Amino acid sequence: MKFAGIINYGTAIPRYRLKVADIARAWGKNPDDIIGSLGVREKSVPGTDEDSVTLAVEAGFSALSNSGVSRTEIEAVFVGSESHPYAVNPTATIVGGLLGIGTNYLATDLEFACKAGTVGMQLLAGLIGSKQIKYGLAIGVDTAQSKTHDSLEYASSSGSAAYLMGSGSVAAELLDYASFSSDTPDFWRRDGVSYPSHAGRFTGEPAYFAHVTGAAKLLMDKTKIIPEKITNCVFHMPNAKFPKDAAKRLGFTPEQLKPSLVVGEIGNPYSASSLLGLAATLDQAKPGDLIFMVSFGSGAGSDAFLWKVNKEIIFVQEARKKNKLRVQDQIKNKFYIDYTRYLRQTHKI
Amino acid sequence: MTNPVKIWRGQKGMANLIGQKGKIISWTFIRVPPAGFESQAPYPVALVKLEDGKTIIAQMADYIEKDLRPGRKVVAIIRRTIQPESDGVISYGIKVRPA
Amino acid sequence: MNVFVIGAAATKFGELWGSSPEDLAREAFENAVKDSGLGKKNIEALFVSNVFFGILGGQVHLGALFAEEFGLTDIPAFHIEGACASGGLAVHAAVNSVLSGRYKTVAVLGVEKMTDYKPEIVPGALMGSGSDEERASGATLPGLYAILARAYMRRYKVMEKELASVSVKNHFHASLNPNAQFHNILTIASVMKSPLVADPLRLLECAPVSDGAAALVITSARPGGVEIIASEVATDSLGLAQRESLTELKAAQIAAHKAYKGSGFGPEDVDVAEVHDCFSIAEIIALEDLGFFAKGEGARAILKGQVTLGSSKHLIVNASGGLKGGGHPVGATGVKQIVEITDQLKGRAEAHQAKGAKIGLAQNVGGSGATAVIHILKKQ
Repeated sequence: MKFAGIINYGTAIPRYRLKVADIARAWGKNPDDIIGSLGVREKSVPGTDEDSVTLAVEAGFSALSNSGVSRTEIEAVFVGSESHPYAVNPTATIVGGLLGIGTNYLATDLEFACKAGTVGMQLLAGLIGSKQIKYGLAIGVDTAQSKTHDSLEYASSSGSAAYLMGSGSVAAELLDYASFSSDTPDFWRRDGVSYPSHAGRFTGEPAYFAHVTGAAKLLMDKTKIIPEKITNCVFHMPNAKFPKDAAKRLGFTPEQLKPSLVVGEIGNPYSASSLLGLAATLDQAKPGDLIFMVSFGSGAGSDAFLWKVNKEIIFVQEARKKNKLRVQDQIKNKFYIDYTRYLRQTHKI
Repeated sequence: MTNPVKIWRGQKGMANLIGQKGKIISWTFIRVPPAGFESQAPYPVALVKLEDGKTIIAQMADYIEKDLRPGRKVVAIIRRTIQPESDGVISYGIKVRPA
Repeated sequence: MNVFVIGAAATKFGELWGSSPEDLAREAFENAVKDSGLGKKNIEALFVSNVFFGILGGQVHLGALFAEEFGLTDIPAFHIEGACASGGLAVHAAVNSVLSGRYKTVAVLGVEKMTDYKPEIVPGALMGSGSDEERASGATLPGLYAILARAYMRRYKVMEKELASVSVKNHFHASLNPNAQFHNILTIASVMKSPLVADPLRLLECAPVSDGAAALVITSARPGGVEIIASEVATDSLGLAQRESLTELKAAQIAAHKAYKGSGFGPEDVDVAEVHDCFSIAEIIALEDLGFFAKGEGARAILKGQVTLGSSKHLIVNASGGLKGGGHPVGATGVKQIVEITDQLKGRAEAHQAKGAKIGLAQNVGGSGATAVIHILKKQ
């Protein structure tokens, strides 16, 4: 194995849901217009006592359970997020401590807007592939914040996905990857400021589409793979429209994209978006499947991955199904709250 | 300020509790919270007997009303506990949620 | 046991805005000394009971503070703390010091001034009496007793109105006691309409926040006054999660058992009792732990008026109004209970007198039951 593979994975989605229609009504907008343009019906809202640490621990615990890997064998923990609880004090060591990882590991936090989680996977690919470490945990997590009444408010949500990576008999092997980066200030948050700002429509063509298609083409050139040979694709989901558009431009069919589209029901959990899309796809994948995944982080950059699913995925899927931990189970495990409660739970009031 | 050293000592034992299953023995619903818990109030606090025989007292998260009954199966999770000061260390602790 | 209460006095309990802690302490102490007929120069040691001056007011070193306040120069002075059982523990320490022969006459002071602080900090401060785990869970003291109440109600099929009857009785008694905090009569309906504090306990089932002081002069020097024939203490786990039972307080049972055994008297001999009704359920469980009623019968007995002044049965419970009606300045309560029993046995409780009281018992509990102190007193 040249790089590394996914041995097991865990996901976490907070149970609370806020309907996009309720947000629209709070601001006197027509719900149908918003839902129509975004393709998002509801989003996940964290509990008052949830944050990126607690969601990362939940997903990480699930990734470590039934994995056959003991906690103290983990030699790297990378947590990517835009909502690390501290500006200085790593989420990775708090999560590592609460997961019982011990002390003999490399820990660091990552930031690159919504693609901070996928960066962790590439770093692990390097460390594991060069045989410097045996096992590592890459986590993407966010309790995304957005200004009230801002267009981001409709979709910015919460979630986490943790990937236990190693070599040997893996459930999904990383065949190759490519990254595409540039200085594109489409969306940013200054230090000390609570909510991000964005440049409106600039976040579309020059940002999302340029980088997603840029990374995808780099990887396709590298691997000589064509969309027809790929089983499923996953793209970062700021809304439902962008990934569908990206898939089409790159030659994928709607059916190839479908299993990953969690955004309609949980919104955009930023650093967990493409990773949850990947988990949802893996939850239903068959041995031999090829999965093409491209993340996007504002600022801007995209990481593209080509995964091959192995027969070991069956054991992973069975355990997740048995314990009701599949992405679909977590999407369905929900209760609705109103706009006022959302404001309370996200500490705005 | 919540004491970072106490938080550090307190968090050391938590890894072993996460994921443990248990059952509610008795509970209450706190409507007049102590200082630092106002943002979470009102909330249930339950006595839970874990599978390994230990009994713990913990706040219950992600519940609906009919989860509040003796015998209800729960699982131990990590959540924020007391509200931190704006420049203080954040306290994480064991809570339970319906399993 | 050759130890007697020869001086006993308490201030009114309530929201006493104009009185400082020193004012309250002085009033109680001077009246107790006057009651004793001894000069204060005979007092050889001072035991002070208080819970919150340190945590909320930044003031510790209370033995020295009050010894100076009372002009008791040079004498040994101690601060005793056991959460809400501090008063009982201070009396127990005083009794031990006299029984040991080390001192002949000592004084006990219990004082608390809770209304100087913002009400929002009281729930958290009271949880200083619980465990770290309980504080991290966001539990409050009413919450802990509510957990007990729910377990008790389920096990013994007791309804909310039976719990409410404790507050009704204690307010009725308090209305006859000029020193009590409350003088308004409650009905079961009004208790059950009051807002929930920690389900199922409601506001009118919880003892109030109060100011007040109480003091005693205890001696072996001469009989007279009222004899202390038992003074026992027991402890249980700090946190509820580590208790064996949720429907009884083991510490209270153990202390009561030791007190009955040592004194030669049993529950059937007790004429008047002051028990620790910090919450309605606490009085119900106390009556059973003290052997006055069988398990599960306490609530019904109270509802039926069996321990109310004027009852045909001989045991009257919380004739002073208890904690709920009388007030609960935490550090003062355990000492006030002894003052009250002394008054009852001396026949000077006036409108709230339990007729013919000869044997009295006081039960003082700390936190959710980690400390229990039992005193039994006998009329001379």
